[in-house]
Amino acid sequence: MYIHSASTFTGEANADINFLKEEIRRYTQENFRRVNRFILLSLLGALQCVHQQPLAAATAVYLTTEDGNLGETADILDEIYTSRSLPRPFGFINTMSNTAAFYLARNLGIRGRNITVSSQHLSFERGLELLKTDFTRGAERSALIGGVDESSLSRMDRKESAGRGWRMVDGSGWFYVKSEKEGACGAFTEIMSFRDGPSCMRWIRERERSPAAVVSFGALIGDDEATALRETLRPAAEFDYLRDYGYSGSAAACGVSLFVRLFQAKTLLHINRDQRGNYAVIELERY
Amino acid sequence: MTCSLGDSLEGIVDAVRHKRIKLEHIPFDLARLPYTRPYYLINRNEGDKLDNRPEEYFYEILFSAVSRALLDADLNRAEIKDMHVFFGSTSMDVPVFEGNHRKTSATVSGMFLQSSCGYGKIAGAIVERFGIGGNCYSFATACTSSANALLYAAAMISERYIERAMVVGYDLFNNLGFYGFEALKSIAASEYRPFDRTRDGLILGEACGAVVLEGRRRKAGDFMHLGGANLCDTYSVTSHDEEGSAVAETMNRALKQAGIGPEDICAVKAHATGTENNDKTECAAMRATFGRHIPPVTCVKPFIGHTVGACGVNELILFTESVKAGFVPSTPGFREVDENLNLTPLTENMETGKGIFMLNYFGFGGNCTTLILSNTDNKG
Repeated sequence: MYIHSASTFTGEANADINFLKEEIRRYTQENFRRVNRFILLSLLGALQCVHQQPLAAATAVYLTTEDGNLGETADILDEIYTSRSLPRPFGFINTMSNTAAFYLARNLGIRGRNITVSSQHLSFERGLELLKTDFTRGAERSALIGGVDESSLSRMDRKESAGRGWRMVDGSGWFYVKSEKEGACGAFTEIMSFRDGPSCMRWIRERERSPAAVVSFGALIGDDEATALRETLRPAAEFDYLRDYGYSGSAAACGVSLFVRLFQAKTLLHINRDQRGNYAVIELERY
Repeated sequence: MTCSLGDSLEGIVDAVRHKRIKLEHIPFDLARLPYTRPYYLINRNEGDKLDNRPEEYFYEILFSAVSRALLDADLNRAEIKDMHVFFGSTSMDVPVFEGNHRKTSATVSGMFLQSSCGYGKIAGAIVERFGIGGNCYSFATACTSSANALLYAAAMISERYIERAMVVGYDLFNNLGFYGFEALKSIAASEYRPFDRTRDGLILGEACGAVVLEGRRRKAGDFMHLGGANLCDTYSVTSHDEEGSAVAETMNRALKQAGIGPEDICAVKAHATGTENNDKTECAAMRATFGRHIPPVTCVKPFIGHTVGACGVNELILFTESVKAGFVPSTPGFREVDENLNLTPLTENMETGKGIFMLNYFGFGGNCTTLILSNTDNKG
């Protein structure tokens, strides 16, 4: 899966929605009405990613998200339960988070697969697995894959991020990937899944590739675990994207795409886990 | 599977065979509207109403369906541990928040924003409850959600990335959906009549279905997923292009992926929501795909309602269990041919044995999914 471009948008929590619309106008003439923050975040990150890139009509979209359309779902619940009325029709439709992937596909004139998928703390990694399956089967040859989340009001997220000193942000990190190498700026060389920490550590110890130049850790990798991984991997650098760019449900997608844009180093190993102790590793190589 | 027809597969198939349906009418109390709309509700005890014990009830229904699927597949503990979970839903756990708020002074939206654990929570609960060790994939593609869960579970098994999968489609009654579809003026007044000249919309239903997929047949009657496809019709966020080109392309890609031609399809389970746009689009697409020889078409929503994101798995179960029992279901409620469509779905059960079947699913956001299933020993 060759990376042809990557982009990241991280924005302050609860930033004015008109700011997002203004930013989007840098990439498209289309005036998006009846859309919400989640859709605008998806559009902004993805349109940045493929700006001035010619796209095949069969390009697919894989939108990964932890929480999907939080804000407008809450608004629509308020319309029903507090205002005691029928909801706004388009507001209701936009509670379905795949509308973000629809607006993106329509704006870009692409009609490949259109998938919105989630998996607690490993949404981006699981989306990459679906993409890999489609590429292997020849079902798709080019795709946009991204992770998008509004800054969360979730008590658990707030506790987690405050405890680690991360600020809460809106996040939208995207990749344009193709099965062809020509013109690529990098590649996803491994997407590995492990059922526990020791299996993950064993794979890391036994991998025969050149050492990772840069390592980064997902939000649930604790300090002790990170220390052990650092000692095993001995990377030239560590990219603490959560500290530097903030936390959102899609921080992993944002962090990995930031690596492509910000680092000159050749290889990134991104190690992540969920609350059950399942691990996932993304290995990315820059050209 | 649990739906308005009960939770026994034999009972559900018997009701389908004899065209028995169970429809209730629900008022719009919150909005103080002076009318009701029909809904296919799961049979509840008084204690299981939405405002009594929403979380416990929500997960009881879920775990019961998963548990029965595991029993039916006769998996041992190691095989269960090895599974991966593919989940599809439109409403996810919104019914839990809607129910819980009645016990507190908090607003539903406040509880939702502060306590939501994301779309992945329900699949996470399944793996916790059953000791499943694999990965979780939760699909949120509106009414195609659990159809896409099936599509990817089958694809990952076919590529040998995984050995087996638990695929679940679950949508429980919630006011967000009920009031939302009413705001769209999509809900029929009294009866479900897809493709009928007098159709007047969809009727929602609630259901939870679970299927086990793996790379080999366990029992002689088991169905095989031959292929499938998904693509995006960018015509409109709410409706599909009535020319049906994107839907037809989805059907054709699915046939190609299955390695078969349109002439190999014995029957089609239409998505058939009962809205005018769906009926026109789907008919046009079937004509483009099959030409003048459209196979027998059945619409199963009149039995259990439109179970939105859960319809992928639940309609598959209802359809395949009926075929296992020897028939393709009829379409209850159909009376008058719409001259503009010129399509008559099966009005009586069609006896069948083995064959290849097409199952179609569409959703908001232009999502189109087609699955090709077979219970034959060979493809053709």
